[in-house]
Amino acid sequence: MTTDPVADDGLNEGLVDDPESESKPRGVWESLKASTAFWIGLFIVLIAIGFGIASAIEHGSPVYWKVSNLLSIGLNASQVMILAIGMTYLIGAGHLDLSVGPSLILASVLAAKVMVTVGGTAEQVAGGEYPNLGLAIVLGVTAALGAGGLVGFFNGVIVTRLRLSSFIVTLATSGIAYGVALVLTSAANIPFIPDQIQSGFGGLQLMGFLPAPLALALLIAVVFWWVLRRTRFGMRTLAIGSSREAAIRAGVDVDVHTIKLFVLMGLLVGVAAVVDIARNANTNVVGHQTDNLQAIAAVVLGGTSLFGGIASVGGSILGTLVPVMLQNGLVIMQVAPFYQFAIVGVILILAVYFDQRRRDRAT
Amino acid sequence: MATHDAGVASVDRPASTAASVPAIRATGIVKRYGHLEALRGASLDLHAGEIVALVGDNGAGKSTLTKVICGAVLADEGELSFRGVPTRIQSIHDAHELGVHTVYQDLALAPHLSVADNLFLGREPIPAGWRRTVGVLDRRRMVDETRAAMGRLGISLRDYSVPVGNLSGGQRQALAVARAITWATTAVLMDEPTAALGPKQSAIVYQTVSAAAQGGLAVLVISHDIPRMLQVAHRIAVMRHGAVVAVRDARTVRLAEVIGLMLGEEVVA
Repeated sequence: MTTDPVADDGLNEGLVDDPESESKPRGVWESLKASTAFWIGLFIVLIAIGFGIASAIEHGSPVYWKVSNLLSIGLNASQVMILAIGMTYLIGAGHLDLSVGPSLILASVLAAKVMVTVGGTAEQVAGGEYPNLGLAIVLGVTAALGAGGLVGFFNGVIVTRLRLSSFIVTLATSGIAYGVALVLTSAANIPFIPDQIQSGFGGLQLMGFLPAPLALALLIAVVFWWVLRRTRFGMRTLAIGSSREAAIRAGVDVDVHTIKLFVLMGLLVGVAAVVDIARNANTNVVGHQTDNLQAIAAVVLGGTSLFGGIASVGGSILGTLVPVMLQNGLVIMQVAPFYQFAIVGVILILAVYFDQRRRDRAT
Repeated sequence: MATHDAGVASVDRPASTAASVPAIRATGIVKRYGHLEALRGASLDLHAGEIVALVGDNGAGKSTLTKVICGAVLADEGELSFRGVPTRIQSIHDAHELGVHTVYQDLALAPHLSVADNLFLGREPIPAGWRRTVGVLDRRRMVDETRAAMGRLGISLRDYSVPVGNLSGGQRQALAVARAITWATTAVLMDEPTAALGPKQSAIVYQTVSAAAQGGLAVLVISHDIPRMLQVAHRIAVMRHGAVVAVRDARTVRLAEVIGLMLGEEVVA
């Protein structure tokens, strides 16, 4: 309901346009109902219950509910989680980054090349010897972060200085990053990456059960959630997404902030690239091309508005779990896992539809 | 005091405390958009403690001149000086640093941010210590000061963390006014500050503006409500075709003369 603002001659009348919400403060249930993340969380619980019961009927025990299976789901989602965290900020600020998948490939390729080159001579690394292992890993990780950060910086500068749509700029950058990665590798994976990065991180289980990549992704999520909710940086990010013009007129340096967001996204791409190498002890030059779409889908599923101004890191984490949980459950049920794509597509349309309705109500 | 429409609530014009050196002086401001000359050598003085009403027909250049003074638009020619010092304003941030804040016609609020966040956007309070390094917001202080700022305009909200998009049009306008008055130390520029307000709230806004002027701020108000301006302002500046064509004492000028100046017509005394 809308009120005629000109007719609003009371000093305290009409806290909000809906007088009912003025008389009744919004309860917990009302808040939850309005949260897309809540509905995705509920959907995840239903998936877990459904596949748990179905797997118990199929296999005689609810194998889906096994802790090891649930942790495996989390581990498989960890890379996209890291990308989705950065994407949450960007979409919250009204931008997109389509280059994260190819940038991840480029960053992992550069990291692997550095690790192999610095680790020892060609003969040594071919024989599994890495006399400079520590330095190789440090420089390799630095290369991954540097490559991701540079691509992000490039995206940010082009978007802000040339006033071009981030959709188009990052679409172009994705082609550039992928092309460079293929040129560097001749489309072949890089051999002789030290196994120690896998045993020391990618395959490591903290406290005997928690996969280290998943722990890292969750740690990053907590930090980024806190920054978004509690700091000036987070507030300005959402302000830019809510109204770029309002942020500019409030004196916020929107261009510099936007560049920072793209660099942050790029650094997280670098982290995801390290996780990728560490999990597989290999590069994956022909994979990851749809990571950008997976991350964007997770962010939108989690309640971040495609129009900017509203963002939920927690929702994005839940959003990354949906396709992985579906795939895992369908595999356990011995059903072709490809149905997950169709299911995620339907949910995505619903999420965008509700986002659109929310936006219409707000305006 | 000039006569005005019966429906307009009464607001006492404060005694002018205008200083001799203008708080802001705009001289010969020219702004072109391609072949269109929006400002053709506009000049205007704003004194501390004084309310100046800027009136003119649509397209006269009122908003453009305001945007030049507040740093939103860069002038092609002309000079701005603050307290007698020629100053080049390159951005809104520069104007904020000089204590000049603006109530824009579209309000320039972020609808998804809370009332308190909007009031403090760009000037967020950060506590000392490690939290300063990280940029942690002092939200308690933000809410307390927002409550006080809105209270001065007669607005009391139950929850200052509600998104601005949930507020009524009048409350949004009051927030925009409260924000400008809270941060301004030199001048407040207002583009139709009561367009969405009813008579009571309009009166409170102008009372607040008058109090701000008495406190030493220079105030520039763009409004089509000329009777109200004759009542509230100290001087009326009339713009036509991108220039300030006349400045009159609001206590003595007649409404018909102002309209005549706006339209470029002779007014018979």
